[in-house]
Amino acid sequence: MVSAVRFEGVYKLFGAETAVEDLNLTAEAGEFLVVVGPSGCGKTTTLRMLAGLERPSYGRILIGDRLVNNVSPRFRDVAMVFQSYALYPHMNVYDNLAFGMRAHGAAAALVDQRVKETAEVLGLGQLLKRRPSELSGGQRQRVALGRALIRQPQVFLMDEPLSNLDAGLRVQMRAELSRLHERFRVTTLYVTHDQVEAMTMGDRIAVMNAGRLQQVDVPETLYDNPANTFVAGFIGSPRMNFLPGRLTSVNDKPGVEFLGASVQLTDASRLRADGRGSDGEVSVGIRPEDLMWKPAAGPNCTLALSAIVDVVEPMGHEAYVTAVCAEETVTSRFPPRSGVRTREKVELALDPDRLHLFDAKTGDSIMQRPVVTTDEAVRSAREAWIQESEAHRPQRSSPAHGGSAQAGGSQI
Amino acid sequence: MAVSGGLGPRLDRERFQWSSLAMLSPAVALLGLLFIFPVLYACYLGFTNLALVGSRSRDYSFTGLDNLTRMLGDYVFVKSAWLTIIFVLGSAIIGQSVLGMALAILLRNAVVPIRAVVGSIVIVAWVLPEVTVALVWYAFSQAGGTLSILLRHTEADYLVLAPLLIVSLANLWRNVAFSMLVFSAGLRNLPTEVLEAAEVEGASVWRRYAQVILPLMRPTIVTNLLLVTILNLSEFTLIYVMTQGGPGTETMTLPLYVYQEAFNFHQLGYGTAISLVLVLIGALFSLLFVRASRSQV
Amino acid sequence: MSAVSAPLSDRKMVAVPYRRISAAAVATNIVLVMLGFLFVLPMIWMLFASLDSNPDWAIKLPSLTLSNFADVIGTAGALSSFRSSLILAGTTTVVTTVLAMLAAYPLSRMHIPLKRSFMLAILFASGLPVSMLLVPVYQLYVELGWLDSLYTTALFLAASSLPFAIWLMKNFIDAVPIELEQAAAIDGAGTFRILRQVVLPLTLPGIAVTAIYTFIQAWGAFLIPFVLVSNPDDQPGPIEIYNFMGSHGLFKFGDLAVFSLLFSLPVIVLYLFMSRYFSGAFNFSGAVRG
Repeated sequence: MVSAVRFEGVYKLFGAETAVEDLNLTAEAGEFLVVVGPSGCGKTTTLRMLAGLERPSYGRILIGDRLVNNVSPRFRDVAMVFQSYALYPHMNVYDNLAFGMRAHGAAAALVDQRVKETAEVLGLGQLLKRRPSELSGGQRQRVALGRALIRQPQVFLMDEPLSNLDAGLRVQMRAELSRLHERFRVTTLYVTHDQVEAMTMGDRIAVMNAGRLQQVDVPETLYDNPANTFVAGFIGSPRMNFLPGRLTSVNDKPGVEFLGASVQLTDASRLRADGRGSDGEVSVGIRPEDLMWKPAAGPNCTLALSAIVDVVEPMGHEAYVTAVCAEETVTSRFPPRSGVRTREKVELALDPDRLHLFDAKTGDSIMQRPVVTTDEAVRSAREAWIQESEAHRPQRSSPAHGGSAQAGGSQI
Repeated sequence: MAVSGGLGPRLDRERFQWSSLAMLSPAVALLGLLFIFPVLYACYLGFTNLALVGSRSRDYSFTGLDNLTRMLGDYVFVKSAWLTIIFVLGSAIIGQSVLGMALAILLRNAVVPIRAVVGSIVIVAWVLPEVTVALVWYAFSQAGGTLSILLRHTEADYLVLAPLLIVSLANLWRNVAFSMLVFSAGLRNLPTEVLEAAEVEGASVWRRYAQVILPLMRPTIVTNLLLVTILNLSEFTLIYVMTQGGPGTETMTLPLYVYQEAFNFHQLGYGTAISLVLVLIGALFSLLFVRASRSQV
Repeated sequence: MSAVSAPLSDRKMVAVPYRRISAAAVATNIVLVMLGFLFVLPMIWMLFASLDSNPDWAIKLPSLTLSNFADVIGTAGALSSFRSSLILAGTTTVVTTVLAMLAAYPLSRMHIPLKRSFMLAILFASGLPVSMLLVPVYQLYVELGWLDSLYTTALFLAASSLPFAIWLMKNFIDAVPIELEQAAAIDGAGTFRILRQVVLPLTLPGIAVTAIYTFIQAWGAFLIPFVLVSNPDDQPGPIEIYNFMGSHGLFKFGDLAVFSLLFSLPVIVLYLFMSRYFSGAFNFSGAVRG
């Protein structure tokens, strides 16, 4: 069975520190929900509360329809992958994998069968007799994953599982985790500080900062329509440019003034009904890829600005150019081999449709942008996908199909 | 649905687990019966005239400060207190700490085989039963023993000529391993970056030890002084087996005097009172170290 | 290429002074060897005298014989004192280790009111001199009728070594990552299973160090059995050696040396067995705030 997970008004206080404040968050059954934020934002505390390792100070936590506030970890039917992996150093891989099933009193034959299946799926078949200290980082990671998978829990909890791997392996495991989730479709809460992991793996992403949930949405919406300057700045690399601006009217229509230029707001970037900013003061957000080099810009980039190049960082397939424009420093993504150099004067161009406007004081978005992928569309797609997975699920545990699991394993 | 407003009672107050009590209780029971109770009992007995035999072994009474006044007029007690302080100061605080530190530093810089062999010898001297240590040092310092041969006075019995010195040396020989182990652990825990930085900056070996390593070791040094003082203040077996406090009362430190008064002279009350003074001396030393370590930071 | 090789050669130049055998390094090793010789000197007497047919107080090359060993091993006193020491030290070790283990786990992991004060009291208690407890414990043992028994004497030895043992064990349990226990709890293991399958195996070295340290202390214990055990047949090794020294030590150097050598062997062997873990137990950094 796959269950939804719900936090209702959850707080966690450590002494005078508020680690998590009024958290309301739901992970749908079968969803891969990534919780992302800088260190100390409360994301790990959130996960540990769901695991039962911390008890919430206030509020309710539900797994399925069951209130689990006072349920000890062992009875929650969740599995967790720790950042440090927390493999039992005195047991070999086989016993590490078998520990949970044995704790639940499973029969030795079933344990043996499932350990072998899981080991096959993760490519650990040859390593069953080894101790964790004799494994590489990537292999340990797989054992930790296997220890969670073998239990077939209602919910997977992952606490920065990839942060101890080197860059290449991390990319590989990212894909593998996504593939495993495709296959087993277990509700997963995945905590990370890495926005690339969040964007690439999450069905939806929950962004947290300073103990508060900032925004929960599918990756595209989060990127295109961030709820506030924190989300806007945290998601996307290089970081979004934030420039001081003022709301004005241009040709009797709403517009915004920044970097010494005025732009009329288009339909694609309408203000919200209550979007007035603080006395008209706004923060204008421009993603580096939307601020283009004029010679490379498309026809929609109607707003032109001139700037002096400060730093050029070639990345190979593109270059990040930091330039000074009307005494503000902006970052822009240039095509490779543009030939621009430091202190050179360049022309930048911008599509007014792609502007983000935030209240200068509160940092909240004051824009109403029509979203291409609506929540409803995503949700219905997901439901279809869960039904499909439920149909497939029995195959995995039935002994008759053990062979198919092995075949699947070889694909990975 | 959400409980954001009036939050009500905290849900995560630490719960007392009864299993912790169950696990603690055997240790607490044993300590209560044979440690805490005796400590409190000692604080009472020290103010009584309890005797080992005779009528006062049953009908003893509270005698207030009698034992204290008796102590102040007791020439042997005053001498014994001084001997104890000299013994602890010389053998433990100075001898054991300095030699222990020297050994820790030397071992750290020695080649592996020498480090292994010398380190083991020093530690074996420490794990040997105290009676054995007393015996080998007794043999070492006798007339015709190895020490007298080394010093070319074969007829000299150094346990008679310089009893406190010999006993202190034997104690140093036995206990230096403790300080050495504490200091070795402390040296191992030093942040290597700081040492490397000092090395890269070209500081000489002496300068590195005097200005970087020793100041960093300060907490370890204080801990060592504290433990070494407390452990050596109650040293009994080594001295007793070697000299029984003699010749005369030349090595009669307080723990030996406690034993003699209580079990040889049957003055249990007076003996206990002396042991309370011993505890006071220990507390005084400890306070001194903790103070000294705080004031100069 | 040249850009790579330049720093390499730089590094080599820095490395040269370390490779060279410096005068200081030679001096260090020579001083250590001399110190080691001074330390081993008193022990050598015991070894040589035990093998000498005509030993005296001085160290001299023995005229080899095993008769001293034969003399001692045959006597009833030697055997019974070994037996007494074994009962005394064994009982003390078992009681201390088990109680310390049970107490250290909740002190390390669980929420206990006044835990800090309890640990401070334990640290303080381990510093109290045994001399202070001698009279009250003697009185107590008279009242309880516990005098003259090796087992009740072991109980007091256990009580006096328990504070340090708890402190030592707690440090070892603290060093086991708590995440392992959390992982096991999430895996569905109950408290007992976590203790047996996770905590216990991982603290085994700590348990061994605590047990062996306690055993070594109890094996050499003199004052407590000296006061609490008076039955001549129950005297443990240290007191037997002391009595031997007093009565006929001046005639039978060889037997005395053999007896103390045999009596020292168990603790030396135990130490060598555990030496790898021993040094870690003396890490007191942060025990006292400097």
